Amino acid sequence: MGLKSVVSEGRQIELAIELIRLGARLQVLESETSLSRERLLRLYKEVKGASPPKGMLPFSTDWFITWQPNIHASLFMEIHRYVVVHGDLGGIRATISAYRLYLEHARLQQLEALMSFTRAWTLVRFFDSKLLTSAPCTSCGGNFVVHALDLNKDYVCGLCVPPSRAGKSLKWQRAAA
Amino acid sequence: MKSAQLLEEILETNLTYLMLAQRMLREDRPAAMYRLGISRDVADIIEQLTPGQVSRMAATNTLLCRFRCDDRAILSLLSGYRAEKPMPAAHGSILLAGQPAAAVA
Repeated sequence: MGLKSVVSEGRQIELAIELIRLGARLQVLESETSLSRERLLRLYKEVKGASPPKGMLPFSTDWFITWQPNIHASLFMEIHRYVVVHGDLGGIRATISAYRLYLEHARLQQLEALMSFTRAWTLVRFFDSKLLTSAPCTSCGGNFVVHALDLNKDYVCGLCVPPSRAGKSLKWQRAAA
Repeated sequence: MKSAQLLEEILETNLTYLMLAQRMLREDRPAAMYRLGISRDVADIIEQLTPGQVSRMAATNTLLCRFRCDDRAILSLLSGYRAEKPMPAAHGSILLAGQPAAAVA
C-alpha cells in the first residue's frame, strides 16, 4: 500500500461511493476500482447502511431483448453512445453519465427505472464483447438493442409494432387511469 | 406583435439560450452536449464565448437555437400526436439521441 498515491486512492474511494449511491453491486465495484474487497465491503455498509446483496450478477442477454426492458436499454445505449462519441467519455465515466441522464428521463416521464445501474453496466459489457449491438428500426429509424447474431436487416422495433399484450397489464392501466 | 417587441424577445431568447448552454457545458460537459445535441467543436465555441461575444451574438433578428424535432416521427411522438402507441416520450428520446449532432461545417 505504501507505493500507492493517497490522491489516487481518494479518487478510487470517491468513485466507489458514487457507484454505491447509484446502486452498483459489489462485483461492479470490484471490477471498476482498485480497492480491496474488504474495503469495498466496509464502504458499502457505511454508505448504504446494509450489507451488499449476495449472489451472482444477472448474466443473460435476453432480458435486454424483452419488450419493455428493451426500450429502456435502447434509450440508455443511445445516450451512452452520445456521451462516448461526442462527450469524449469512456469506461465507467460514460456509464455513470448516461445512467444519470436515463434516470432523469424515467423520472420526468414517471416511468419506473426498470434498468438498475448494475444492469446498465452489464449492458455496456455485452456491447463491448459484441454479444449485443444496436440495429436501426426500418420503420422509425431509431437504434435499438438487438442480439448481435440475429438477422437484423428488416428489424422493426417494439415501439413501432408493439406485441399485442403490450401496455395492457394491470399496472399500466392503473397508471393511465 | 410589434416588430420592436419581437426583436427584443428574440434577443432575450438568444441570450438565455447561450448563457444556459454555457452554464450547462461548464457544469457537466458530456451531459450538456447530449442535452443540447451538439458536437465537440460547437461545444468548444459556445463554452469559450466571452460575455461581450454572447451579447453581440444574441443581438440579431434571427434565433440562434435550431428546431431539433425536424423529423416527422420525433415531432409526432414528442407532441403526443400518436398517443395510441406506447411510451411515446421514450421513443422520441431514442430517435432524438440517434440524430446527428450539430457540428461546425
